[in-house]
Amino acid sequence: MESISFWKKYKNILFLILLIVAVAIWKPHAAIYGLQRGSLYALAGLPLSLTLGIVGIMNLSHGDFLSLGIYIVYMFSVNTGMDPLVSILPVFILLFLLGAGVYKLTITKVLKAGHLNQLLLTFGISMILLEVMNLIWTSRPRSVYVDYASSSVTVAGVRFGTYEFLYVVFAIAVLIGLQLFLKKTRLGQASFAVGQNPRGAKIVGINTSFVYLIVFGISVAILGIAAGVMVPRFAIFPSVGSSYTMKSFCLVAMAGLGNLTGILISGIALGVGEAIVQSIPGYAGWSDIVFFGVLIAVIMIRSIRRPSL
Amino acid sequence: MKKAILLTLVLAVVAMMAVAATPIKIGAVVPLGDITGDQAAKAMRLAVAEINAAGGLLGRPVELIVIDDELKPEKGAAAIEKLATVDKVDFFVGGMGSSVHLAQIPVMKRYQKITIWIGAASYLCENAVGPDADWYFHLHPWDYQQGASYGLGWTELAEAYPEIRTDRIFLAYEEGGFGTASHESYVALQRLAQQGEGAWAAIMNDYMGVSFKSAALGGGDYRAMLQQAKTYNPDLFIWAGYDADALPMLQQAKEVGFAPEFFVGAPPGWPAHFGDSPLAEGVTLYGMWAPTINKVSPAAEHFYNAYIEMFKEEPATYFAPLGYTNIYFLAEGIKAAGTIDKAPLINALEKVEYASPIGEVLKIAPSNVIKHQGFTAQKILQWQGGEQQVIWPLELKTADPTFPFPSWEGR
Repeated sequence: MESISFWKKYKNILFLILLIVAVAIWKPHAAIYGLQRGSLYALAGLPLSLTLGIVGIMNLSHGDFLSLGIYIVYMFSVNTGMDPLVSILPVFILLFLLGAGVYKLTITKVLKAGHLNQLLLTFGISMILLEVMNLIWTSRPRSVYVDYASSSVTVAGVRFGTYEFLYVVFAIAVLIGLQLFLKKTRLGQASFAVGQNPRGAKIVGINTSFVYLIVFGISVAILGIAAGVMVPRFAIFPSVGSSYTMKSFCLVAMAGLGNLTGILISGIALGVGEAIVQSIPGYAGWSDIVFFGVLIAVIMIRSIRRPSL
Repeated sequence: MKKAILLTLVLAVVAMMAVAATPIKIGAVVPLGDITGDQAAKAMRLAVAEINAAGGLLGRPVELIVIDDELKPEKGAAAIEKLATVDKVDFFVGGMGSSVHLAQIPVMKRYQKITIWIGAASYLCENAVGPDADWYFHLHPWDYQQGASYGLGWTELAEAYPEIRTDRIFLAYEEGGFGTASHESYVALQRLAQQGEGAWAAIMNDYMGVSFKSAALGGGDYRAMLQQAKTYNPDLFIWAGYDADALPMLQQAKEVGFAPEFFVGAPPGWPAHFGDSPLAEGVTLYGMWAPTINKVSPAAEHFYNAYIEMFKEEPATYFAPLGYTNIYFLAEGIKAAGTIDKAPLINALEKVEYASPIGEVLKIAPSNVIKHQGFTAQKILQWQGGEQQVIWPLELKTADPTFPFPSWEGR
């Protein structure tokens, strides 16, 4: 009985490990690159899952908050010489305050409106953020150079970069942190309850407005963590984070609403799939199709399994 | 009778004064959110300010009206329409982006005003303009002219420095229209080279092209492509992407241990402070201009200093001196023609020889399709000590090429 429940609980993780091992034997670079980039997708996707699962808002400005976080990390680096990884802490706090402020000023006004209004509002925020970044920093790419970001090692004849393993470390750390927050803290438990049944939570005395404010702020703040680890490896320009909105949404759709562990598993699985396609000469352009193809396949399989839904 | 003559004279003087006060209107369409358009527009303003300070053209002031097309075809086409109908400009100048220009050309054909264009390199634009548009002047080399000029450049470099080899060429191209067009042109050049024809005939034996997703379009992971390049082991590694790809690609090349003989970048612009990065040293690039041309061209030096004085920033893209050239070329034509009437002005523009800040004398000649093509070649430059040095054309050379590409060790 116990072994069955263990299998049920961890089958996705075991499947993912098997997938990575199989790919590593076949194409070691694809396994490594997929694990690294997939973890970054998960790191960016986790906060969107939180917002969507608890506040119930599809935040179309998700990727633009990430871009803004990247610029703030850049400014810390240029003006104070702070290492991008060290600047994660102040950027986390700044983005939390910004997220909470944006929530209070705008999102609260459309919480009871239809989904279309919410989408339009967050799309508007996205446009404003993009244009503000364009105005302040222009569209010309910038960068922060740190020599450790391109360090590499050779293991069993395979040379690979080590920096992007930080994406794996941070994605797992954020996942564990969020799980602990939701399960072990009163505010987290309240958030979980609000996500499950906002009306019921309100009846039992939970301040749902406060929960929404904190959760939205935390979601934006986590993007500051992603920004800090991305800066040493990415060109910095206003739309650098834009593609992460759609990728994060795909992960949420694939993992299921509120399934944080599923975000990490889905991110890595899609990252590995993408890396395999990119490693085949002449087929790199198909990687996006694979990304969204896998997503469609998973959603379709789910709908066949649960026809009543 | 005397009164009538006096009145006629007064009216004639008033009319002449009115004409003299009417500005010559130039309508520019550029993407102001992009550094190419922003700096081109500033350089145009500088040229207009200089011309007006010197008394204008034909005794009339020059007015520049700039519209931002945001690099969007529909906005670019609407901008031309507005300049023609609302602002009633005399000339069109600009602009960047072949896709934007393809949308503008039908509108331009409707008004047939004298047009001088500094960007849009795709041969598709040339075909769309067609052979009959005598009012159309194109200053930027077409894509096929650029490919041929690179071939000529590498041939002359290989002659001047016999240790340089370009037998095996690997092109990493972004998967959008810009990169794909580059790949197609290299495939065509290789086909010609195999038949012993074209500018690459003596120097290209083998070619491989692999696409990548540009960071500008949501990509940015080049490692799979770089692994393929490393396996291919090219003499010349060329990447055709955008400025956002420049540093991450070098970083990842260092990570995978890929250091070809020549690491060549061909983006339309470079990121801010690229030259300050230790990874930039020895990177070769294609371009029309670099600040170091000041050393060999007085026109370039004048432009560079005047631009910095007026805008308190350094021109960082070759579209800045091209924008300046855009206005001055037209001004030289107007001065030579003594009128802004279309037919005589076209004749005058055909004969203009303008010593441009690009470093070369601008002269008009037919290209494959159109009658009025300006520059026909790009330059081969190289980042050395944080500056872009010209390594070809040899007569404009500001430094010897660094060869082979420096090792990644210690960078």
